[in-house]
Amino acid sequence: MGGFDWSAITYAVPYMLRGAVVTIEISFCAMLLATLVGLLLGLVSASRLGVLKGVVRVYVYFVRGTPALVQVFLVYFALPRIGLELSAFASGVVALAFNSAGFIAEIVRAGLQSIDTGQSEAALSIGMTERQSILFILLPQSLRRITPPLTNEAITLVKTSSLLSVISISELTRSAQVIVAKRFAPFELYSALAVYYLVMISALSWCSEYVEKRLA
Amino acid sequence: MSAPPLLSIRGLSKIFDEVPVVDRINIEVAQGEIVMIVGPSGAGKSTLLRCINRIEIPSEGDVLLAGVNMAGESRNGKLAADPPSATARKRRRIGMVFQRFNLFAHLTALDNVAIGPRRVLGAKLSEARALAAEQLARVRLSDHVLKRPAQLSGGQQQRVAIARAMAMRPVLLLFDEPTSALDPELVGEVLEVIRSLAEEGMTMLVVTHEMQFAREVGTRMLFMDQGRILEDAAPKAFFADPQHVRAREFLRRVHATAPA
Repeated sequence: MGGFDWSAITYAVPYMLRGAVVTIEISFCAMLLATLVGLLLGLVSASRLGVLKGVVRVYVYFVRGTPALVQVFLVYFALPRIGLELSAFASGVVALAFNSAGFIAEIVRAGLQSIDTGQSEAALSIGMTERQSILFILLPQSLRRITPPLTNEAITLVKTSSLLSVISISELTRSAQVIVAKRFAPFELYSALAVYYLVMISALSWCSEYVEKRLA
Repeated sequence: MSAPPLLSIRGLSKIFDEVPVVDRINIEVAQGEIVMIVGPSGAGKSTLLRCINRIEIPSEGDVLLAGVNMAGESRNGKLAADPPSATARKRRRIGMVFQRFNLFAHLTALDNVAIGPRRVLGAKLSEARALAAEQLARVRLSDHVLKRPAQLSGGQQQRVAIARAMAMRPVLLLFDEPTSALDPELVGEVLEVIRSLAEEGMTMLVVTHEMQFAREVGTRMLFMDQGRILEDAAPKAFFADPQHVRAREFLRRVHATAPA
């Protein structure tokens, strides 16, 4: 058992910081995209739009039933085939959002369906359409309930972003791997990597607790 | 040609799992009638009301409001089903008050009443709120306009719900056991509001277990059991001399438990 190689860590810190910035950027963009898409899909699956609902169900089934790593590869190799030549960063965002939107759709659907049916009946009784009822009555009430699972999903997304190292995006995990190859200090560097993620996730949890308190 | 009755129900049935909860019901209700619907629980009273404004889709039969079929347009003798937007438009004319109030939990009393005029009728926010304040004043809740439902008593919540229904200027009001979820001391204030609407000539169908109230305010009694209307009479006649044996039994049971 050798000593802890601190020099490897001091060497790695600035590189990994750059990687962390990429991870944050990618996660932020992906979360934004995933929330928008997931919200839309969730609204569809809580509505009575039969065919669209079926499409969403198949999508969610796929996202849940396949490993995120496989999804990352699929998106990365599928996009060029349908004529979308995206940068590594953009395909990373799309891959992460593709995964996360499926889970967010389920969170939103469950949130909407957890609201007492009396609320939508009352909305219909004053002449609202189903769309108005979802938009003005059910969605505002479910926001408070879906915030905790939504922040969980954001945390999962940040961690899942480490998989993007396989499509050569120089995010945090990838930058650590590069230095491991140079300095042969895997234990030290992966420990540092863990600390980086812990700090980011802690900041995220703290934010979500703050938001939850504000909504309560 | 005389005007059609305000509400006309023809051969209306609602079948759940092969059980007819509402069974081939025919009723005509004229403008200004106050129809009290009574009967044992499970008789199909609530389902009948919910079929009228299509919160529940009837299995069979027609509901006509001032001659307009609630389910669709008649074309060449055939009924073409309405798209959901048309159903929503037709529903505006029928107000409904629920047993459990169903106030929108995230909105103040004022916005509970204003949201219909605002979102459904497209009024400006200021106009919708002014109208809502007016309706809340009518149910004597002017001091509570900015409270959320959770901050109101059951009786206050139900009065907001009545104001919410009235804000849409309905031609018909449906009350589904409006006082059954209330503490006894709060029943009176809600019945008072319903009574005043009745005095203003509002046409209404009221499912209720308040026999005293039904007798005093109703202009017509319907007794339902097992999805059928067994009795359709003036309140005096109904309470004095019910024709059907099940109505007699029902009244005897109610009187046995009612306070003197």
